[in-house]
Formats: sequence, structure tokens, C-alpha cells
Amino acid sequence: MGPLVLVVDDDARTARTLGRMLREDGYEVEVAVDGPAAIARLTRSPVPNILISDLRMATVDGVAVVRYAQSRRPDMRVVVVTGYPHLVQSALDPPPIVLTKPLVYGDLRAALGSAGLA
Amino acid sequence: MALDERVAELKRYVGFEESDALLLARVHDALASDFPRIAQEFYDKIREHEEAHAVFTGEEQIARLQKSLQAWMHRLLGGTYDAAYYARTERIGEVHVRIGLPQRYMFTAMSLIRLDLQGLVEARAARSEVMATKAALNKAIDMELAVMLEAYSAAHLARIERKQELDRSATELASADVAAMELTSELVVGLDKDGRILVFNSGAEGATGYGREEVIGKPFLETILAEESHAEMSAILAARAVEAKRHRADTFVRTRAGKLRDVRWDIAPTRIGAVAIFLIGHDSTEEKKLGERSRQAEKLAAVGTLAAGLAHEIRNPLNGAQLHVAYLQRMLKRAGATAESLEAVDVVGDEIKRLAVLVTEFLDFARPKPLDKKSTSLFALIERVRGLIAPDAERAKVAVACDLPSKDIEVELDAAKMEQVLLNLARNAIEALAPTGGHVVLRLRRQPRGALVEVEDDGPGLPSPDAPIFDAFFTTKSEGTGLGLAITHRIVTDHGGTIAVESQAGRTIFRVVIPFGADVTEA
Repeated sequence: MGPLVLVVDDDARTARTLGRMLREDGYEVEVAVDGPAAIARLTRSPVPNILISDLRMATVDGVAVVRYAQSRRPDMRVVVVTGYPHLVQSALDPPPIVLTKPLVYGDLRAALGSAGLA
Repeated sequence: MALDERVAELKRYVGFEESDALLLARVHDALASDFPRIAQEFYDKIREHEEAHAVFTGEEQIARLQKSLQAWMHRLLGGTYDAAYYARTERIGEVHVRIGLPQRYMFTAMSLIRLDLQGLVEARAARSEVMATKAALNKAIDMELAVMLEAYSAAHLARIERKQELDRSATELASADVAAMELTSELVVGLDKDGRILVFNSGAEGATGYGREEVIGKPFLETILAEESHAEMSAILAARAVEAKRHRADTFVRTRAGKLRDVRWDIAPTRIGAVAIFLIGHDSTEEKKLGERSRQAEKLAAVGTLAAGLAHEIRNPLNGAQLHVAYLQRMLKRAGATAESLEAVDVVGDEIKRLAVLVTEFLDFARPKPLDKKSTSLFALIERVRGLIAPDAERAKVAVACDLPSKDIEVELDAAKMEQVLLNLARNAIEALAPTGGHVVLRLRRQPRGALVEVEDDGPGLPSPDAPIFDAFFTTKSEGTGLGLAITHRIVTDHGGTIAVESQAGRTIFRVVIPFGADVTEA
């Protein structure tokens, strides 16, 4: 079993495709298509090892998701993928890894590094 | 002339001798008992004359003055007529001047006292001495009058001098008015009763382009104002005769060159010489332009905000496209697709990346982050840039050299942004030299007010030296976004610096001057 990744993006097709690619590369992946679904998933066990989240989403945004995730698992690797990278800097502590959209898959793999991979 | 000289001269003139002094002294005691009565009658007489009486402030003063008059008579018949005596007489005259006693009253009053004293002399002096004593008395009184009149004369002269001084300063002031009128940039135009120009200051000359010698005597309306303003102004000019109040009018002035200028006039009727009306005009053309420009800038800022919001949002669909292209590439490779198919997908991926770069650069340009200035070593900055461009330079067969001064220069700057500037310039230089290769020099020099950084290459030079290379969306490169140099320019100017280019075939130099901040240190 690879590390568990939660992909959060309100663009469901993109989230699913990203999940598919990550799965092929050895990760366990679950997808949430909005903030409330992401937080609902984070309340359950097993708590994901990695969170890849969009930032600007309706109702509950990525900042709230990341904060909740960090409270659930302080050592969780968090990657925020956003079109608004400048909004992340001051909003989150500790600062997550920030990747600017459009996401280059290779950059994401580099950012995840060997986190949790066997 | 000094007082004692004047007195000596007076004595010689009226023939006042020591014998006269003795005669007066001798008659003093016989007359003295009447002095209070003379003083009383004297002031009673004055009370009958309004203008003379008006100089008194009250009964107390009159009582005091009566005492003074008695003392004066004692003095007059005292027998000593030296300089000290006439100094006192002079002071009495000065008091008369000060209280504003008209000269004619001093004369007629003296006449009263003289007659009274003469009568007493006739009645009481020794028979043989009456004539001589009366003559002595007259001489003494005339000298008294002469000295007191000097005070009037001195005061009169002083008044004339004061008036001349006032006249002079009034003249100076008047010419100061004229000078001020010439100094102001406002238009000052004076018209006669028929609306012809009489006064035309340099402000009016400047705004209209006409010299005063051309317009003086010409009708104001037809000469200066544009046709569309004639009706309003002529109505005001006609009305000013009946109602003497100020008006205000916004008009167009047609300049000698035929241009229209917005002028707001204050119109005031007057009667200074032949000038019947003054018009003070304020040229608001530039202000209006400025206002339009700032409205334009506001509009652009609003459009910029909108565009920036749009740019951010474009990243979302690009993200979806990019990710699916990556997935497609993976699938095609796995399925053993043809090179053509793979290349086609790669092109889509490259185009998406290009769009992504454009969005990022556009946002850098449209929404620059505030500068984060820190004291920075330019040696270190240039070294870092050299390191960053090394792979590109090697690929393009470009030799990069640094030409540094003996001492490092530290400048307050935003290191990340300035690094971007030098990277942009260095990368441009390398691209200009590709594929045949060449040389790039990163040069640093200290200047009095800042640091000069040059990026020089020996490439073919800019295709057109006058091209607006620093403008947004101007590019000579097929792959360029047209924003690189615009951002570079913006960062440099945000630092208060300048950027310029000098280009010819074989030598292109970009020069960036970064001014020293408040605290400059030499490392």
C-alpha cells in the first residue's frame, strides 16, 4: 500500500485525472470535489499522508481545508495548487508547498519527493 | 543753523541790545501783578473761537496753560535772553505744533498780549522810558514769535518730506503692481468702454501667443475669443455698464496658432484711466488635460484590476488542460503511438506552458508586489546571475565575463526583483547571440549617485534602434511574451533608477542605474 493522498479540487475531471496518474505512480488516492467533502474525509481514518488542495473553492476554501488537515496530522505533507499563489504566503503557518496552476505533473512529483513512498 | 546763531542773528536784525534787556527787567515788577488777569482774559478770548478752542482737552488743561502763560510773561520780562531762554521758547512752539494750534491764532493771541502789556508799560513805566521799553517789548515779542514760528516751519518741512516719501513709495508700489501683473501667469486684460484692448499682460501674451503691440487698440471679442464664446462675453460686457458688479465667464480663447484654450475670466468694471473693465483670466487647459489624464489612468487601473482577475482565472482551465495533456502523453507513450502523435500532444503542452508564462508575466506587470528593499552586495547579485545563466550560456556557446570594480558596491534594493532584471537582460543577450555564440559582459561601476550595471553583448544589435522595446507587448522574438523588458523597466523605475539601451551591430549595451538609498555603504 502506497501513501494515501487526498486530492481536493472543485474541477472534478481534473482531480480525477490527477488521481489516476498518481495511482499509476504508486499512491493511494482519494478525491474530494469541494471543501466540505474534503473536511468530511479528513475526519475519518485513515488520515491521509498527503494533501493536494486547490485554494479558491466555493463555501469552504483550501485554507480551511489545509488548516483542518494540519490539525489532524501535523506532519502531513501539504501541496497547494492554485492560480493565486500570492494569497497563500500569509494565510498558512507552517507554509505549505505552493505550486502555481497550470500544474506541471513533474513538478508535483518533485514536490512530493519520496514522502511516504516505499 | 544752530539755535544760538539764529537767535544772535534775530537780535542783530531787530536791534535787540543789552539795554533792551535791562528795560524789560526793570518794568517786570510793575507789570507782574496783572499777569494772572492777562492769562485769564487770553484764554477766555480763545474760548470764543471754535477752532482755537478745539485744541484744548479740558478746563484742567486750560488752568495749567494759564499758569504757563504767566510763567512765560515772567520769562519775557525776565531780562535774560540767552540760548537757554530761546531753547524754551522753541519748545513752546513745538507744543503749539503738537497740539495743532493754527499759526494765525498764535499771531493774533500774541497781538492781544502785546497790546495788554504795552498798555501796562505806558501806564506804569517811568515816563522817560515808556517809548524805549515798548520798543524793547515789541522786539522781544517778535523774536519770541520768530522762534516759535520756526517750529511750525520745521514741522511743515517734515510734513512735505513725509508726503514726498509717501508719494515716492506710492509710485514704487504702483510700478510694483505693474511688475506683479507681468509676473503672474494669469491673463490680465484691460478694455476701454468700447471693448478695445488697452492692457495686455505677459500672461495674456503667453496664453494667446499674441504680443501686446499687436492687440492693443483691437476689439477684445474678435481678436482673442473663439466665436462660440462671443455671445456670452458680449452680453456680460454690455451688462457691466448698468450693473457695476463682477462677473465670471468660462470661454474659449483662440490662440494665434488657432488652438483653443479654456480660460475662466473674472470680469470687473473699473475706472482706472481709460480702462473701463478688467478681465483676469485663468487658463485651465492644462488642468483639464491633467484631469482627463488622471481619469484615463483610473480607467486603466480599473481595466488592469479586471485583467488581473481574468489572468488568475485563466490558470484554472489551463490547469485542467495541462494535466490532461500530461495524462494523454503518458497514455500515448504506453500505447506505442507514432512520433507525430506524440509531437502533436507536446505542441499542445508547450502552448499551454507559454500561456502560463504569459499569465505570470502579465500579473507581475499589472500587479507588481511592493519592493522588499535590503542592503545588497552587487558583487554577490551579479555572481548569482552569472551562475543562473551559465547553463543557457553554455548551450548557446556564449562566454560570460564579469567586469567588476575593485570594491564591492552595496545598494538598498529588492534583490529578487533586481535579479530578475539582470536575468532578463542577460538571457536576452544570450538569445541574441544564439546559435552562433559570442560574448556577454556583466559590468559594474560606481557612479556618484548610484551603481551602474551594464549588460553588453557582441550580437547583431537591435533590429530597429527606435523600437519601443520597453513597452508592454512589444517583442521581436517569436516565442516572447513582450513583457520581459516592460517588467524590467518597471522594476528599475520602481527603484528610482533608469534603464537605457545603446545598440549597433556587434555591440549592444543595456545600462541600468540603481540610485543609492538613504544609507550607502562601501564594502
